Amino acid sequence: MAIAVEQPAASPARPAGARLVSVLGRLAAYLQAAPLALILGVFLLAPILMIVAVSFWDYDFARLYPDFVLTNYAETLGSWVTWRTYLNTLKYAAIVWALTLFIGFWVAYFIAFHVRTATMQTVLFLVCTVPFLTSNIIRMISWIPVLGRNGLVNATLIEMGLVSAPVEWLLYSDFAVVLAMVHLYTLFMVTPIFNTLMRIDRALIEAARDAGANGCQVLWNVVLPLAKPGMAIGTIFVVTLVMADFITVQVMSGGQSASVALMMRNQMSLLQYPAAAANAVVLLVLVLLMVAGILRVVDIRKEL
Amino acid sequence: MAGERRSVTFWILAVFFGLFLVFLYGPLSAILILSFQGPSGGLTFPLNGVSLHWFRNLTEQQAVGDFGGSFRRSFTLGLMVMVVTVVVSLLAGLAFRRRFVGATPLFYLAVASLVVPSIIISLGIGVMFQQVGIRPSWYGSAFGAHLTWTLPFGVLIMFAVFNRFSPAYEEAARDLGASPWQTFRHVLLPMIAPMLVGVGLFGFTLSYDEFARSLMTAGTYNTLPLEIYGMTTNVTTPVLYALGTVTTLFSFLVISLTLGIIVWLGRRRARG
Amino acid sequence: MTRTTKDKRGISGGISRRSLLKTGAAAAGLAAGSGAITGFPTIWAQNPITLRQFGTGVSNLNAIAEKCKEDLGITLEMTATDSDAAAQRAVTQPDSYDIADIEYWIAKKVFPAGVLQPMDVSRLTYFDKIVPLFITGKLTPDSVIAQGTAPHTVGFVEGPDSTTFAKAPTGWLTMVPTIYNADTLGIRPDLVGRPITTWADIMDPAFRGKTSILNIPSIGIMDAAMIMEASGELTYADKGNMTRAEIDKTIDFLIAAKRAGQFRAFWKSFDESVNLMASGEVIIQSMWSPAVAAVRSRGIPCVYQPLKEGYRAWGGGIGLAKHLSGAKLDAAYEYINWYLSGWVGAYLNRQGYYSAAMETAKKHMSDDEWGFWVEGKPAKGDILAPDGKVMEKAGAVRDGGSFEERMGKVACWNSVMDEDRYMVRRWNEFIAA
Repeated sequence: MAIAVEQPAASPARPAGARLVSVLGRLAAYLQAAPLALILGVFLLAPILMIVAVSFWDYDFARLYPDFVLTNYAETLGSWVTWRTYLNTLKYAAIVWALTLFIGFWVAYFIAFHVRTATMQTVLFLVCTVPFLTSNIIRMISWIPVLGRNGLVNATLIEMGLVSAPVEWLLYSDFAVVLAMVHLYTLFMVTPIFNTLMRIDRALIEAARDAGANGCQVLWNVVLPLAKPGMAIGTIFVVTLVMADFITVQVMSGGQSASVALMMRNQMSLLQYPAAAANAVVLLVLVLLMVAGILRVVDIRKEL
Repeated sequence: MAGERRSVTFWILAVFFGLFLVFLYGPLSAILILSFQGPSGGLTFPLNGVSLHWFRNLTEQQAVGDFGGSFRRSFTLGLMVMVVTVVVSLLAGLAFRRRFVGATPLFYLAVASLVVPSIIISLGIGVMFQQVGIRPSWYGSAFGAHLTWTLPFGVLIMFAVFNRFSPAYEEAARDLGASPWQTFRHVLLPMIAPMLVGVGLFGFTLSYDEFARSLMTAGTYNTLPLEIYGMTTNVTTPVLYALGTVTTLFSFLVISLTLGIIVWLGRRRARG
Repeated sequence: MTRTTKDKRGISGGISRRSLLKTGAAAAGLAAGSGAITGFPTIWAQNPITLRQFGTGVSNLNAIAEKCKEDLGITLEMTATDSDAAAQRAVTQPDSYDIADIEYWIAKKVFPAGVLQPMDVSRLTYFDKIVPLFITGKLTPDSVIAQGTAPHTVGFVEGPDSTTFAKAPTGWLTMVPTIYNADTLGIRPDLVGRPITTWADIMDPAFRGKTSILNIPSIGIMDAAMIMEASGELTYADKGNMTRAEIDKTIDFLIAAKRAGQFRAFWKSFDESVNLMASGEVIIQSMWSPAVAAVRSRGIPCVYQPLKEGYRAWGGGIGLAKHLSGAKLDAAYEYINWYLSGWVGAYLNRQGYYSAAMETAKKHMSDDEWGFWVEGKPAKGDILAPDGKVMEKAGAVRDGGSFEERMGKVACWNSVMDEDRYMVRRWNEFIAA
């Protein structure tokens, strides 16, 4: 069933004795929801309000002054660097999103529709999962010996005689950043898509086949539309992760590319918290708008 | 969908999948290989001899930092986050089955928790604790910061579970005279137990790996990811890779254990 | 090399050598300093005190904590972070530490934030042994004070509760120096193929795509300033405190170089600089002397190249958290006095850094070690790393020469500028370009 908010009470009217149960039940609902509300209130809402407050503070060389000034926003939004950095971050988000969506869909599709036994499906899915459970940092730096000037790839290419000099753009470039991000975040796309694909009623596909649809048509007209919610959820994950990334961008671009969070980090490193907070608020608004846009397309509450 | 013989599509996709696995595991294997560097080897290729030197080294005290202590902290924190995530998500999942005022805002708050950039939460909690005058610590502020990351996952998973959960079982139990607690304990819980284990696994690993959210909230002592990052600023030896290899094996262990528990739960249910 | 790990054998070997030195020193009946080595009260053993210290891994060495426990009975809990995180922890989590180990340039911001308390000079036994560079800014009475945030400019405050830096030495010291050094260009002599004499050489088109500078905004811009001045583009009034116009020119210069593909990457941490060099990604970059040694310890040729414009120096120090009081504060003073008493200094000198009180450190180093590391003399025997590995073979001479030659030729110190707000904005622009 979908959640109760969406639906009228599941059962028809009951005798009077049951009314008490229902009141108790409603009370129970509040009690059950309370811990979640409490934790999110203290560790999510309050800190964000704090950030919003700080973004209006004034600061000088060493101290922060609670105040209400707009200079932090003026400096953030009034500079072309900010816009350019946002654009660059969005570029990463778009590329990584497209790649993870493509890879994620076909991987999930393969496991869900082409692997026959449930055991094998579970095993293959877990095989995809394992690397995601190891340290992100280690996974990221593990690309460096692979892509470097004298790394595995270049050594192989030269050995095979394909190139005469090492390929330089493999590491410390946008390519490296995107590659590492795809590596880090694809699972966030695979899992929700796999989840939706597994729930597609196979009878639908049989029916489409019986109606004379070929493989492509089934894929295009049946599977893809039904997989959309999974893709939407995966998109939310990937886009927000990329938008907030600083460490991958810094390490893989060798410090030569900018991202919004990296810009914040640079400000934080010189203890310019109000400026960083203003940046954070702008980023937060942007991310929430993007997510709200995705949620307009798919009601994830129904589709989970 | 394929007939008796595998279709061409199958093989194309199988190759694609294989390449994906190579992509996933390639760099990891580079680490694996490099962790067997000889005693004078560095962090990059080529190999400078083969040895177990760096694994031995891992167990010894380092010039800087403390792997053991930070591992213990991360492990404990992971367990704490796991337990709270499971319990709170389960409760919230149950709550969302009923109607209550504020359900929709709470749901979107959970989604927001997922999408708010980690570094912002980290900064916010750090600054807030400072202003309020509470001492940040890995078991306090960082614990809370991690929960904002693991709880939405847990809640969404529980949501998905209950979305597809037929209330008929519970109604049947109720009709047979079971108390709400009995219904929960003997009907509902066994059915969703495997998913709860999954939520637990998610909670543990997400917390165990979390970097950005710990960055400004961990207080005096480093968690493992912070330590690893701190080490990368000073350590120039493959001991880092040895650590990577060991943590990967550790992840394998955790997954196998989880899988074992899920299978065991399934068997028990089948028998019972 | 230095910051690699050590195995048990090395530790015990080191201890025996050290105790040997200690007895030697005591037997010689040297003045006040050495007497105190064994004369530290051990009351802390009965009244256990734990001090929490954090800072960059460069100086947060476990060996120091071990020795501190052994000598003083004080448990020192070391937490290593990167330098960014260190500065932020210092300011935003002042309750999370007792001793802060931060760099001098950021101290210019951290101290005024009111999270540290100054030290009473009269309680520092070895105050007069601290290298004058940190007191007056001059290594020798007639040396010129370098540009930038020179440590002595943030070394003192007016009084016990003051957060304003004093112009001249007072009785209240902000931080006791831990390690410091002079950075210059590191090169791969096998790959650059020509003599390197000036900072400007890093901009040689021949090295396109094979150079690197530091990626910490306030330090990277100093590298850039050294380069700018060397290539005659601009002469700064104070490289460490640029005007807006100077910042603009410097950043524009950097952007142009970046667009032309001059840089391979920017490094942020010790290991990155080592790996860039060792893997051949970069053949000329600004570098720390121990990083050069680390590259060399892999059997890869690497030279710490003295340049005619001089060095860019940096230093770190330990400061006391504001909240320290009573027995903990006493213990902290005890620790700092012990820190300056020689053993630590010798340990740090042997890693290729310089320590605060060279005079006391000397007593804990062998003549050959002292000669090699500090006096710039050829090593008579093999020079060993703390783990017992051979770092330099007999006959080797340290790049850059003696302590005086290096620290006497400092052109500027790592800095934070008054215009740092503007600088970071422009730096972000450079990274985004």
